[in-house]
Amino acid sequence: MRNRLKVLRAERDWSQADLAERLTVSRQSINAIETGKYDPSLPLAFRIARVFALPIEQIFDDAE
Amino acid sequence: MAMNPAQRRYIGRMIPVSIAYVAAIFLASSLVPNGSPATPLTVAVALVPGLAVVGFIWAMGSYLFELKDEYVRLLEVRKALIATALTLGVCATWGILEIYTNVPRLAIFWVFPIWCVGLAIGGLVNRLTLGAGGGCP
Repeated sequence: MRNRLKVLRAERDWSQADLAERLTVSRQSINAIETGKYDPSLPLAFRIARVFALPIEQIFDDAE
Repeated sequence: MAMNPAQRRYIGRMIPVSIAYVAAIFLASSLVPNGSPATPLTVAVALVPGLAVVGFIWAMGSYLFELKDEYVRLLEVRKALIATALTLGVCATWGILEIYTNVPRLAIFWVFPIWCVGLAIGGLVNRLTLGAGGGCP
């Protein structure tokens, strides 16, 4: 699943560590999600959406 | 990298259990010579290191349950699955060899160390496939 995490983070001038702290997850989790190595659970996806104040579908894209 | 609370608790459990294990091994080795008859006393003394090994397993299991970070938990679960697959494969294959040939007997004692080696290999597989090994040994 593709996502816009890196772009959204850059727009806010947040580092991976900044976003990890806001989500209370590890920096390696953010890196794994950004690089597409790991798809977050639904609860974590909702937390990410809340942090960016965006709907989930504007962050994650499940199109092939 | 800073340790998360689950990792700190894991280390906090592993240190005393490791000390207890080493002390129990020394105690059992000094009190019970190898191959001693199984009396209630020798069995009781020889069981103490085994309880310490159960302590290791308890610390590892608690760590998995207490991890809040779902990605790190995934890494640890993958390591445990790889370790289990490796242990089952090695022990079953060696067991069949023991049935049909005169290879040396593998003591059951080695099952847990083999599983721990499997954890290290699991960490390596994680690093090669996901770019991250996992939190704890």
